[in-house]
Amino acid sequence: MKIKETLLSILGDLHPEIDFENEDALVTDGVLDSFDIVSLVAEINSEFDITVGIDELEPENFDSVDAMEKLVESLLD
Amino acid sequence: MTLISLDFALLWLVTGILYYVFPLKKRWTVLLFSSLVFYFAGGLSTGYFMLFTIVCIWLVALWLDKYNNIQKKYLNSHPELTRDEKKQYRLSVQHKKRLVLALGLVVCFGFLVFLKYFNFLSDQTFSVLHLFGVKAAAPKINLALPLGISFYTLQATSYIIDVYRGKLAAEKNPAKIALFVSFFPQIIQGPIGRYGALAPQLFEGNRFDPVKFRHGLELALWGVIKKLTIAEYIGLIADNVFDNYTEYTGFVIFLGSVAYGFQVYADFSGGMDIISGIAETFGIEMAVNFERPYFARSIAEFWRRWHITLGAWMRDYVFYPLSLSKAFAKMGKKTKKVFGTYIGKMLPTFLASFISFMLVGIWHGSSWKYIAYGLWNSVIITGSILLDPVYKRVIEKLKINTEAFSWRLFQILRTFFLVSIGRIFSRADSLRISLSMLKRMFSEFNPWVFTDGTVLNLGASGKQLILIFVMLLVLLVVGVMQESGMKLRKKLDEQNLLFRWIFIIAAVCFVLIYGAYGGDFNASDFVYQQF
Repeated sequence: MKIKETLLSILGDLHPEIDFENEDALVTDGVLDSFDIVSLVAEINSEFDITVGIDELEPENFDSVDAMEKLVESLLD
Repeated sequence: MTLISLDFALLWLVTGILYYVFPLKKRWTVLLFSSLVFYFAGGLSTGYFMLFTIVCIWLVALWLDKYNNIQKKYLNSHPELTRDEKKQYRLSVQHKKRLVLALGLVVCFGFLVFLKYFNFLSDQTFSVLHLFGVKAAAPKINLALPLGISFYTLQATSYIIDVYRGKLAAEKNPAKIALFVSFFPQIIQGPIGRYGALAPQLFEGNRFDPVKFRHGLELALWGVIKKLTIAEYIGLIADNVFDNYTEYTGFVIFLGSVAYGFQVYADFSGGMDIISGIAETFGIEMAVNFERPYFARSIAEFWRRWHITLGAWMRDYVFYPLSLSKAFAKMGKKTKKVFGTYIGKMLPTFLASFISFMLVGIWHGSSWKYIAYGLWNSVIITGSILLDPVYKRVIEKLKINTEAFSWRLFQILRTFFLVSIGRIFSRADSLRISLSMLKRMFSEFNPWVFTDGTVLNLGASGKQLILIFVMLLVLLVVGVMQESGMKLRKKLDEQNLLFRWIFIIAAVCFVLIYGAYGGDFNASDFVYQQF
């Protein structure tokens, strides 16, 4: 649960106007662009002390908060 | 052999018959054979470069795959390793893989740089040396550029990078790699495919699907219509204005760049429709390369809709790796101390974006004008991000409803204007001429050219102007329908058979009667073919 809250806080700082909890096509629908992804990954890396690899920058890993949570969990293992 | 030619139609017909006659598992060999026929029909001499690229990426991918498998086996057989130990092991393997990948990239891009940019680089180097008294002439190479080299090099390198990243397993059969690189409808002007999406469709063999077959032909027909009834005619205006720019000023120059914008859109997206349509007749779905770019509301969005596969290549293989690299992160930290948090955070991203757009520009050709083209796009995108807080404040102060159609239309027209300015760099014969054209464009405000008959005499006849106007209107209506989510070919499927046949026959007759081919027109030439 803590991971999701942290992610929502990072995303909220990035785009306060978007309701991230109910979005499930953030990258596919162009809500998040490549500049956002870079900022987001930098924040995630520093917040969770992980390294999100370039090969993980796929739309399915960033389309929703739940997908991002799964990605972070897998990298923490 | 070009896309709109009898030779190509014959090749497609023979390939189609053989493809569906051959056993399912062997159908890819028909595509390979036809691809080699298509490629080498243009001459044998430059074809060797493509063959060398194929052999290179086949071997490099196998080598990388070996390291991937060693790493996987080692980590699976040593579950006791700590997270840090695993990380250390991965880094040591990555170091070896990086050297192998670098070798592959140097070979593939080496050909491209040598063949496409050597003369330009030589000229520039020697023009600097001349300033220091060196009198020798710049050495030149006199080799024709291999067909599609700018496209297949990016496609080939994406394969080895994806294997390096562990996203793909290497293909053992070099003939299959040859097909992936040389697939005949796409090799001349893309779309730049990814192995993961394209290879299974190429190799597994597709059963005949009458719906896909029909849809493919319909798409190809729409591509031919765009090419022959829009691009060729509106190109007359663009050619006239750009070739005689010293005779024009103000709005006429702007109209010339707008005409070129529509020409290149109808030409390139028309070509893509023909290529995707032909591929669809074999049951193969190509990557989407255009999504109605002139509906974009910002330059950044424009590049997500225009030549999508090139933008995606730059994003995945240049922009992301650079902006998330350790070197760029270090640079961000250093600048943060000097210029503050915002600049420190954004500078690496801006620099990565700048490099990506410069590469997009240079990819188009070896000339300063293409560097200026990349620079123009990069500056606009960076500027719009930096000024975003200012825009938001202005919008708030002026109480602008950003959801209103009028605001969206303003954004679309603003983007269209900026894109059209950028077109001057890419179409003019040189950077000096493009700057001169821009100066002439802004030097005179002459709206009377719209009423005094000037715009009717810019290279196209009255009948051609009417056709251009009607077809642009058709393009707009089709675009609006597609933007609203309508699937036009499926919509056509829902109509009665008689109507469908009348519609298709009318479209064929339309292009036969009004299409620009023969005489002064050279329908077989596509703008992006030269890149």
